[in-house]
Amino acid sequence: MMTLIPLILMAIAALASVIATYLAIIEKDLIKAAIFSALQSTAYAALFYLLMAPDIVLTYIPVAVGIYPAVLVFLIKKTERYEG
Amino acid sequence: MVKILGISPESYLMTIVLVSLFVNIVISIYGILARPSLIKKIIALTILSDSANVLAIYVGFRRAVWYPKPPVVTKLKPSPEDIVEFTKYAVDPLPQALVLTAIVIGLAVTLFLVFLTLQIYRLYGTTDVRRIAKLRG
Amino acid sequence: MSWKVHAVIIATVTTAIIVFSLLIASRGLMISIPLDTPRTLALWYLRTTYTPWNRNFSAMAPEGVTAIVWDYRGLDTVFETCVLYFAIIASVAIMRDIVIKPGSIQQRELGLSIIAKTATRLIVPLIVVTACAIALHGHLTPGGGFQGGATAAVVTLLILIVFSYIFTVERGITKNKMLVLRSVGLLGIGLVSLAALIVALIYNVPKVYILQNQPKPIAPIGLPYRIGPSLVSGTLIMFNIFETLAVVAGFTLLYLLLSYPEEEVRRYMVEEMRAGETHG
Repeated sequence: MMTLIPLILMAIAALASVIATYLAIIEKDLIKAAIFSALQSTAYAALFYLLMAPDIVLTYIPVAVGIYPAVLVFLIKKTERYEG
Repeated sequence: MVKILGISPESYLMTIVLVSLFVNIVISIYGILARPSLIKKIIALTILSDSANVLAIYVGFRRAVWYPKPPVVTKLKPSPEDIVEFTKYAVDPLPQALVLTAIVIGLAVTLFLVFLTLQIYRLYGTTDVRRIAKLRG
Repeated sequence: MSWKVHAVIIATVTTAIIVFSLLIASRGLMISIPLDTPRTLALWYLRTTYTPWNRNFSAMAPEGVTAIVWDYRGLDTVFETCVLYFAIIASVAIMRDIVIKPGSIQQRELGLSIIAKTATRLIVPLIVVTACAIALHGHLTPGGGFQGGATAAVVTLLILIVFSYIFTVERGITKNKMLVLRSVGLLGIGLVSLAALIVALIYNVPKVYILQNQPKPIAPIGLPYRIGPSLVSGTLIMFNIFETLAVVAGFTLLYLLLSYPEEEVRRYMVEEMRAGETHG
């Protein structure tokens, strides 16, 4: 039973990323879509850590949770907020 | 490994991760093709490239030991027996190096796309591809 | 599409994933994707990354991934840095010639509230220290040049948002200075990759490779892997330092280009279109 705990956490992180991806693509308010994409990146960062790749975690967290949502919010503020 | 109904729980949980990665790829390709806003297309493109990177790291994982370790030597003066022990537990380091390069290149392409979208909005006043397709010149 | 429809779709997709992977795992289909026995190439990298008793076949860095990125496959990383540089040059070319005259924006109270400014003043030194620690220990623990550079680039973003664009430009962080710093970083990477060549020319060794880190059987010249009691790993630490400098300067340049105030850009584009009409 103790040997299964990291694998159960991996499965939970992967399912959480599916939910966050679906909500990000469906959403019409683009600021909420950027926040859901940051949530999905957090789930992927947990998955990278459990797959024993600490170098990738240190690159992925500033890039996908820090730079991408910030640049997207800059862009949305200067263009349109609602899609369609 | 204990088997319940002929399936071991380790392989079942790893298969859940693999199938959900493929489902993420399918949803993000739908998002690139079917949504009309340029910014939504950029968001879906970043999700697609991230899912491909996780797939590459997943292929390099090590299944038969509990629990594998990252590919870092932890003793400052190792002997040959320490290195043999290290290679029994360490994960594959080559996909991690390739994924580092892939993350940086994806970042460069996405930042350039953001600047292009900003300039399109300043010149034409819209970021909707259906309305841009109707302009002529 | 209301909330209930979306919740039903999410529940269906999650149950479908759980059931489908049960079917696949029972037939034993995906059993071979993470392998049971390690690959031969992975074993070769892991066996030769840090062996102090065998100096001719080792990269002398305890961190396996940094050794692959800067020593075994160093040419890949040099070209990846070039790709980032081309993207930065293309973005600078799109936003060329737009000049913000500093006196044209009204001097009201710029930036966010005083609580945000005090919190930012407290947290910026901590982020800079963490980024330096990650970058300088890249050959011993997980970390390295790009990781430290991306963490330090968050600092300029915070300063641009919390204080304002005018504040940053007045303090000396301008577009031209960042271009110079980025070029200095790339020049450093180019020189360090030729370091073994220069050392071989001084000591008159007949054969040497570019991007060489440690001595090889054919080319017996290399850079020292330790200075005193601490482990330096040859060219790896110099590559990490110059890569951090280049990445911080590049990202700061992109944020500065993104945060031009929109009224100024609109005024500049209107003037340019009017000048184009009168000329041609």
